[in-house]
Amino acid sequence: MSVQRTALLAMALALGMVCAAPACAGSKNIELPPDGVQLKPSALPGYAKAQAACVACHSAEYMLYQPPTAPRPYWDAMVKRMKGVFKAPIDDADMPLIVDYLARTYGSEQPK
Amino acid sequence: MHRPEHPPLSRRRFVGGAAGLLAGAGLASIGRGAFAQSSATMEQPFVNGRRNLVAFPEKRPLIVLTTRPPQLETPFEVFNEGLITPNDAFFVRYHNAGIPTSIDGDRHVIKIGGNAVGKPFELTIADLRTQFKPVEIVAVNQCSGNSRGLFNPRVTGGQLGNGAMGNARWLGVPLKDVLAQAEPKNSARQVTFNGLDIALFGGGDFVKALNVGHAMDGEVMLAYQMNGADIPMLNGFPVKLIVPGYYGTYWVKHLSEIEVIDQEFEGFWMKPAYRVPDNDCACVEPGTTPAATRPIGRFNVRSFITSVADGARLAAGRETVVRGIAFDGGQGIREVAYSTDGGQSWRGARLGADMGRYSFREFTFGFTPDKGGYDLRVRAWNRSGQSQPMEALWQPAGYMRNVVESVKVTAV
Repeated sequence: MSVQRTALLAMALALGMVCAAPACAGSKNIELPPDGVQLKPSALPGYAKAQAACVACHSAEYMLYQPPTAPRPYWDAMVKRMKGVFKAPIDDADMPLIVDYLARTYGSEQPK
Repeated sequence: MHRPEHPPLSRRRFVGGAAGLLAGAGLASIGRGAFAQSSATMEQPFVNGRRNLVAFPEKRPLIVLTTRPPQLETPFEVFNEGLITPNDAFFVRYHNAGIPTSIDGDRHVIKIGGNAVGKPFELTIADLRTQFKPVEIVAVNQCSGNSRGLFNPRVTGGQLGNGAMGNARWLGVPLKDVLAQAEPKNSARQVTFNGLDIALFGGGDFVKALNVGHAMDGEVMLAYQMNGADIPMLNGFPVKLIVPGYYGTYWVKHLSEIEVIDQEFEGFWMKPAYRVPDNDCACVEPGTTPAATRPIGRFNVRSFITSVADGARLAAGRETVVRGIAFDGGQGIREVAYSTDGGQSWRGARLGADMGRYSFREFTFGFTPDKGGYDLRVRAWNRSGQSQPMEALWQPAGYMRNVVESVKVTAV
């Protein structure tokens, strides 16, 4: 052990900051990486709404990686779940726009 | 009922949402520059399966299912490196965006209460480590939706390959010993588990429940170490619920609140989420909806070849030792059979050391191919005689896939 570390340990012990090995869990700090993908830009009005309502909470892989067969009722159910279960602040008027954007951008209605 | 409370925010920091990310930018344990966009990608064996590989904190580059909240899958080749899955390769699955990024492990508190205990109390992790007799178990954790992307017809949800599983040595304290101090009443029916992760707008907090008999079986554990080290933050530091043989949905991370209650808990993540068809196979005709459902429970039997990938080329005329892993929900693996002709004929594989009935079990077999194509399959049985279907079963949520896998190779 280096002189510096020994001195630090002595200081920590004096301050009561060190606990016995089996009782000590330490602490952890992490920083998470930025989103790996973004929502696909679109001329549909739901694009801007989805940017505000959806990716405020979660990254866009949730949409991008769904099977391209995912039908409109799936996207409709998910948007309703986000509001109904998770209390996402989405205006009722915006919900059909978001569903339309998702079904036509990531689901079964996307251009072949 | 069950309004979760959390320790003071001063002990924790959260990220989640754009505002959360900005607020978190001041944290400096790892510089943002460390996350320069990686160009590494991999391709899952299904349509729309391209994925990024990114190293999250305390993790090697893993397959990113979602960045925020993190859902990370173990690259399959890791399962051939050893029977214990390294902490830095272990899969990650969060549900809500408000995840803790700073935790003082020793001062972290678990509150034990509920309307069916006589003596509610609080426990720090330092208490947990020093006031109880520790136990150790090697147990597989597997995501309910492991392999969902391979369902045919496809189902919606997290499109995982086969890497949302791992096997680790867990050190902790039996939940039974902790709950006994709270003096559960005769009215106790279920035990609920909540962690520090939160839903950003207050709905859908991730809370899971076990029947009280299961919670008190002596095997369900509060673990504070994983493979001899502190549990990685993204796997639930500083304490994680271990439910051997049960799907990962019950293995609550950053465990902060346990309640013993006198009724069945029906939060979103128990009902309607994480339910399977209520029949013997937990399956229905593809494309149909089950008439009744139950909460997902124990793993079914699975086995995988790990040493040879689908599409591999082998040397003709030379023996190749094929290796793999098998596991089940806790009976233990009794037998693994292999076929090199697509399942027409079978022989017994050799089983490796028994690390306990909840662990991965290694198997090996020798294979000396002539030139040509081969369809390698393995099929395991547990000690109850349960096995794997030759044709994949189907259910709408995409849980519990356990078909006999096919690995096609060519000998040249």
